[in-house]
Amino acid sequence: MISFIKNSLAVTLMIGSFFLFGPARAAELPEDSAKSVMWEFVANEFLLSDKDGGQKIVMDDRILVHTPKLAEDQMNIPVHVDARAVKTVRKIVVIADLNPLPKVLTYYPENSEARLSFRIKVEQGTTVRAAVLDGDGVWRIGATYVDAAGGGCSQPAMAHGNDGWVDRLAEVRAKVWRNPASEAAKMRVSIQHPMDTGLADGIPAFFVEKLEMKSPQGARLGRIFIHEPVSENPTITLFPKLQSATDRVLIQGRDNEGNLIKVSVPAPVQSSALLVK
Amino acid sequence: MDFFRRTLLAGVGSSLAMPILPSFANSFAYDLKAQRIAENSYVIVGETEFFTMKNGGNIVNIAFISTKDGVVVIDTGPSRRYGIALKKLIKETTGQDVIRVYNTHFHPDHFLGNQVFGAEKIAALPKTIAGLKTTGEGFSDNLYRLLGDWMRATEVTIPEIEVTFSSEKFGAHRFEMLPMSGHTDADLAILDHHTGVLYTGDLCFLDRAATTPHANLSKWYDSLKELKKIPHKIVFPGHGPADPTDRSIEQTESYLRWLEAELIASVKSGKDMIEAAKMPIPKEFQSIKVIHDEIERSVAHLYPNLEEKLLPFVGQGNK
Repeated sequence: MISFIKNSLAVTLMIGSFFLFGPARAAELPEDSAKSVMWEFVANEFLLSDKDGGQKIVMDDRILVHTPKLAEDQMNIPVHVDARAVKTVRKIVVIADLNPLPKVLTYYPENSEARLSFRIKVEQGTTVRAAVLDGDGVWRIGATYVDAAGGGCSQPAMAHGNDGWVDRLAEVRAKVWRNPASEAAKMRVSIQHPMDTGLADGIPAFFVEKLEMKSPQGARLGRIFIHEPVSENPTITLFPKLQSATDRVLIQGRDNEGNLIKVSVPAPVQSSALLVK
Repeated sequence: MDFFRRTLLAGVGSSLAMPILPSFANSFAYDLKAQRIAENSYVIVGETEFFTMKNGGNIVNIAFISTKDGVVVIDTGPSRRYGIALKKLIKETTGQDVIRVYNTHFHPDHFLGNQVFGAEKIAALPKTIAGLKTTGEGFSDNLYRLLGDWMRATEVTIPEIEVTFSSEKFGAHRFEMLPMSGHTDADLAILDHHTGVLYTGDLCFLDRAATTPHANLSKWYDSLKELKKIPHKIVFPGHGPADPTDRSIEQTESYLRWLEAELIASVKSGKDMIEAAKMPIPKEFQSIKVIHDEIERSVAHLYPNLEEKLLPFVGQGNK
C-alpha cells in the first residue's frame, strides 16, 4: 500500500514536472526548417536531454545533409552529412524523424573531418536531420527529406534468407585513400552484419553498436555510436586526419551482443612520396 | 490492407477528388493510340518517363497482333484502367477478341492490366509467375502510392499458363518463345515468324535509360548478344520507339557496359553512393530520357554488391 502511494506520488510528480518543464522547453525551440511533425519530440528527446549539454538550438543551412529525393531501396538509402563549415564540431547526431527508432548514429569526429557517409533503413518517407554540437554547446541543425515507399525497418535483413550469414559475421572490408594535398584521408569500411532492428517478427535486435578509429600510435581519430536504422552490412565513409608517418588505421568495435571487431587497415602514403628527394 | 486501401480511395473520390485532383489528373483516362508497325501488328508506345500522377503509369510499350484466331497481346500496362482502355482500343482497331496474353516479365508496368483479360488466357515464364506470387502485391502497393486513383480497383492477376513450350501458332502467326534473363530473373522475348517483329520486353530500351532493379548484367549482355543473332526485321523494345535498325539492342548494351564500368571505377576510387550517382554522362547518352534518375536508381541497385566484391578484405571479427 505504501509503495502504491509512493508510486502514485512519483507518477504525479513526473506528470507535474512534465507540465512545468515540458511546454516551457518546447516554446524555446526554433521553427524547424524541415517542418517535421516530430520536431518537438526529436528536440526534447535527443538534443535537449543530451548529457553533453547544448540547451540552445539553431537552424544552420551550412550543415549539409544529402540523400536521394526518392528512396529506391527502403533498406539502403545513402546519406552524406557534411558539417565542415562549423568551426569546432564536438559531435554529430543523425536522426530520421519518422522512423520507429529515430536515432541513426552519433559521430565524434575527434581527429577527423566533420563529415561522413553511410546508408539507412526507413519505415516511411521522413525528414533526415543532422544535429551538430559545436564548441559553444550550441546544437546546429541541417535537414533534408527523403520520400519512400517504406517498410525498411520492419523487414527481416537479407542475411536471414541465406544460411551462411553467421560464418561471415563481422567480416570487414576497408580501404584508405591518402590525399597528397590534405592530411585528411578517406576511409571506406564495410562490415558484414544483419543490423536487425528488433522490429521484424521473431528476430531480436542485433546490430553493430560502436566503432572507433585509432592510429597505430594510439591517437583516437574518431568514434561512432551506431543505432538500429543503419543499413545491413554497414558501409561507412570517414575522413581521418593522418600524420605522414601513419601507415595504417586501427578499427575497433563491437555489436550489442558483445561480438568484437578489431582490424587494421593499410593506409600507404601514395607513391608520389617516392618522388620527394 | 486491401479493404482499407479501397475504402480510402472511395472516400477520397467522393469528397476530395473533385476540388483537388483535376489540377493534375483530369479524368484518369488513358489516351492510348495504336501504331501499325507490320502486317496485323500494332503497338502503343508509352511515355519515356518515370511513373507520375500526370502520366498514370502510361510509360510502357504494349503490342497486339491480330490473327485469324483472335488477338495476341504482349504486356498489359500498369493498372486496371489501362487494361480497360487497351481492350477497348484492340476492339476498335481489329474488331476481334483477345485469345492470348503474354507477360514479358514481372515488373508492375507490364502486368497490372492483367485482370481485364482473365488469368486463364495469360502466359508467362515459370520464374515470372513465381516472382509475381511473391512480389506482385508489393509492386501493386507501390504503384497505388505513386499513381493514386489511376490504380483504382487494380488487383494482381497471376498468369495461369506457364511458358514451357517453344512456340504457339495463332492463324498465320507463329510466335517463338525466347526465354532469357538479365533484366530480371526471367525475361520472355517473342519472335513473330510471320512478320519478323522481335518483341524484347525490357531486355531492350531505346532513348530511355534502362532500369536495373532486378538486373544481372552479365546475363543481360548474353541475352542481348543472342537477340542480335536472331533473324528479325524490327525490334519492339519495352520502352522507346519501334526500331528497324537494332539501335535499341546496341544502345542498351553500350549504356549498361558504360554504367557498369563507371560504377566499378567509382568503387575503386573510393566514392560513396551519392558521389557515384553524379558521374558525368558521355555525349552519346545525353539525349537518353530520365538518365539522371535511372543512374541514381542503378547506383542503389548495383553499388552494394560491387563494393562487396571490390573493397579489400581486411579481417573478420577480432581475428
